[in-house]
Amino acid sequence: MAIKPEEALKAIAAARGNAICVPTMTTSPAWREIAPDDLSVGCVGFMGGASAMGAGLALARPERRVIVFDGDGSLLMQLGSLATIAGARPRNLVHLLFKNGVYHTSGSQDIPGGLTVDFVTMARGAGYKSAMAITTLEEFKRKLPELLTAEGPIFVELHTSLADQTPMTARGGRSFPDQVEQLRSKLLAAR
Amino acid sequence: MAESIPAPLIIDTLKDTFREARAARTAEGWPASRHDFLGWILSVPDTHQKTVLAALDKEDSLRVITCATEDEAATMAAGLYMGGEPVMLMIQHAGLYASVNTLRGVAMDGKIPMFYMIGLLSREKDKDPKESRHSMVRFAEPLLDTFSVPHARLEGPNDVHLIPEYYRLSRQRKGPAVVLVGLETI
Repeated sequence: MAIKPEEALKAIAAARGNAICVPTMTTSPAWREIAPDDLSVGCVGFMGGASAMGAGLALARPERRVIVFDGDGSLLMQLGSLATIAGARPRNLVHLLFKNGVYHTSGSQDIPGGLTVDFVTMARGAGYKSAMAITTLEEFKRKLPELLTAEGPIFVELHTSLADQTPMTARGGRSFPDQVEQLRSKLLAAR
Repeated sequence: MAESIPAPLIIDTLKDTFREARAARTAEGWPASRHDFLGWILSVPDTHQKTVLAALDKEDSLRVITCATEDEAATMAAGLYMGGEPVMLMIQHAGLYASVNTLRGVAMDGKIPMFYMIGLLSREKDKDPKESRHSMVRFAEPLLDTFSVPHARLEGPNDVHLIPEYYRLSRQRKGPAVVLVGLETI
């Protein structure tokens, strides 16, 4: 049975410690309810940017874990980021892909290739330190502690169902520039 | 008449720019970085600035990350900025056209300082870019004007002072600022 995205996010929230989180698209509304803090920055309005933004944060703050909650449609928009990230080698980056096979926000049209696209092979081929698929919540919870400590960049393809909300059905939350400033302030204060 | 700028002059200016940025970072209260280079250059290799890129290959005090696309370079720059690191982008005009939505969504709407050096590949030495026969040269400045992105053109060695000035401007206005490299560097 596919992983419910909100359940995966709750597991991450419980285990993340001081990790910076970078949600995008359909993980954004749920994440702001589950973890309404200022150690997260959401990517909406520039679909595809979460992976490289997370990598930049990871390179800047190597003492913290950075966890990207990417989407499969989003990653396809900047698929080259797999090679860019592998080349930059952020050892503290965990790149989680919430794979549902569709563009949920725009009405659930299939992504090119649908669920057959193998992102694990792509990440491994690009040069990520490790890459794996996880298909059940139990397995994800079991592997989460290792994902939060092992050397990265780590890529995980989570096989998920659709989220309850999308950025279009659950608008709101802090503006992007506010999130940027609050994250920056939080990191500065935590020196 | 425009002149080409030697790569060592640009490299030295970038080092000075990043030294100033690091001092500002320290004054702001950021802890010492866990690396010993001055700053990050995110590049999608630009033929127009290839002598600079070649010199950067031998330069330990600046960390260059080659990105697959300019979109990635801009979003990675945003992440580095949020984490307190000095960063700039080195791309070509074609990459500016390719990454306009990221420029808008990240640097402009996100109010994130983002300093670009953009090469005007194929710009004719004896022509104003507006009169170039190449659309990629002709439209770069009008595109930046359309988005109200401040920009200046490096037309020779005497113009390198624009690099730190526009870097500072990007920080002051919290948004993008651009210097265009008029002729191919030497």
